[in-house]
Amino acid sequence: MPSTPMTAEPLLSVRGLGVRFRLPQAEVTAVDGVDFDLARGEVLGIVGESGSGKSQILFALMGLLAANGGASGEARFGGRNLVGLAEGELDRVRGSDISIVFQDPMTALNPFMRIGDQLAEGLIVHRGATRRSAWAEAVAMLDRVGIPDPAARARAYPHQFSGGMRQRVMIAMALLMRPAILLADEPTTALDVTIQAQVLDLIAELARDSGTAVILVTHDLGVVARACDRVMVLYGGQVMEAADVDTLFAEPRHPYTQGLLAAMPRLGGETAPRLGTIPGSPGSDAAPGCPFAPRCDRRLPRCTVERPALVDRPPRRIACHLEAADAAS
Amino acid sequence: MLRFIGRRVWDGGLTLAALVTLTFFVMRLAPGGPFSKSRKISPEILANIQKTYHLDEPVWMQFGRYVKGLVTFDLGPSTRFRDYTVGDMISAGLPWSVTIGIWAIIVATLIGVALGVAGAMRRNSAADYVAGIVGVVGVAVPIFVIGPLLQSVFALRLGWVPVGGIGAGWRALVLPILVLALPNVAYISRLTRSSMIETLRENYVRTARAKGVGAARMVRRHVLKGTLLPVIAYLGPATAAIITGSILIETIFALPGIGRHFVDAALNRDYPLVMGITLLYGALLIVLNIATDLIRAWIDPRLRNGR
Repeated sequence: MPSTPMTAEPLLSVRGLGVRFRLPQAEVTAVDGVDFDLARGEVLGIVGESGSGKSQILFALMGLLAANGGASGEARFGGRNLVGLAEGELDRVRGSDISIVFQDPMTALNPFMRIGDQLAEGLIVHRGATRRSAWAEAVAMLDRVGIPDPAARARAYPHQFSGGMRQRVMIAMALLMRPAILLADEPTTALDVTIQAQVLDLIAELARDSGTAVILVTHDLGVVARACDRVMVLYGGQVMEAADVDTLFAEPRHPYTQGLLAAMPRLGGETAPRLGTIPGSPGSDAAPGCPFAPRCDRRLPRCTVERPALVDRPPRRIACHLEAADAAS
Repeated sequence: MLRFIGRRVWDGGLTLAALVTLTFFVMRLAPGGPFSKSRKISPEILANIQKTYHLDEPVWMQFGRYVKGLVTFDLGPSTRFRDYTVGDMISAGLPWSVTIGIWAIIVATLIGVALGVAGAMRRNSAADYVAGIVGVVGVAVPIFVIGPLLQSVFALRLGWVPVGGIGAGWRALVLPILVLALPNVAYISRLTRSSMIETLRENYVRTARAKGVGAARMVRRHVLKGTLLPVIAYLGPATAAIITGSILIETIFALPGIGRHFVDAALNRDYPLVMGITLLYGALLIVLNIATDLIRAWIDPRLRNGR
């Protein structure tokens, strides 16, 4: 797997991305100062546990945050900053240059509309296609994602599809417009284990064929290993460590990444040792230091008071005071 | 689809049969009879009258006679208005009630849905508050207050429409239709608003936004159907109620509809008329509910393959 050189002009450049939600009593930070680049055709994985803010990054890019949420920072795409873009401007990017596959295929399709019409809609809206030609393209795309008898199935309604088939429909819908970027928000979490791999391979294969870059959000490291070129590990809305997949899996440096990998089951071991765990649970974001510090077994005194900066330590980027300590010694 | 309709009609028939039976016997159980309130009449004459209307027979025989009449669409004679049959009275009043009822429902639906959509799209905006005030007023202020109020302004002061009666063609129906529509405008707008707010939170609406279809198309193609399903479910029974239950409107505006028969017939112990009106309401309710279900199935494919 070739790691993409960071020197090339990135397709998407995210700097200081933040997401905050206003709650009745307080304001909560879900994403805090996230930086990353995405190159053409690259598959970037974002991993982290529930509540780490990984899905909110995607929603912020698409302008789909909940009504009480707000994004800050910068996400450069095609000369525009997606953050704070007006709805009308966003609508020209959404579904056309950037599309998204959601986590729950059972509720993501309109129950009142034929599958074919839901697919054709993007072509009609963005390219001014006729319903007939858009419908034909939709049927061809359904065929490509492995829906049997696509011409007949295009006339069916979502409730006549299984979960796995619906996710294939979502993928077909997202890739029909040949977007530059596909955002995938835990696309396999709601599916049976047996079809998770199929759907992942489908995304990877179609993206490769059409040169689409993918941001794949997941909490499943197996998914990352299978599908991604690079990985970004998120904790408490902040980037802990980012590297190409081989580096990250072979030599994780951040204590959190190491904990995650230790907690991952492996097939083929002679004995089945107890899985590693990370003690504690994700805490509040009120602490000033590293968000992982309360659960970190190698915590330094400064970790709870000073937030570590995300620094370049090729071949990785890492935010950990241990790095600085190691470099000094 | 035919099987679906057939089954619903069959169920409706059974319901009507139960309704007829129940109403018939409950009426007879109530004390008094059609002629017990009349001025003093000699027992001989009373017996004669009773015989004419077969009230001297055992109740079960009366019931059999009534059911036999029903099969031939004969609802029997009114015991109060001697020269009229129940059929005559219903067919004289029903066109008026249907006309103002249907128009009132159409007006109420158009205005109510528009207000509800505006309120849901721009929550806490001026439009939302206006819709909210109309809602409170429409539900809280009874039509016997609104009616005379509008009469005094638009009929007496401005002279745009007549106060009542049926002499002035369509103009005479404007106020009754508006007054009859108002409580329904209120209810439909609140129902639409809450249903739309809920629909806007659906994941598939987020999918539509993510497709960049634009706000107008999103509402038209993705939000409206889900929003209107509960509204349509409400419209069936509401239409039946509005057609038959407009006694206040008919009294205020001096219209010869059928609403007044509902109350008069019961007070007069006019057995055949009570039966006829009850049957009419039941039949209307059943027909409109079937129509409602068909429209809902047409909108929502998930309802089609069910029973």
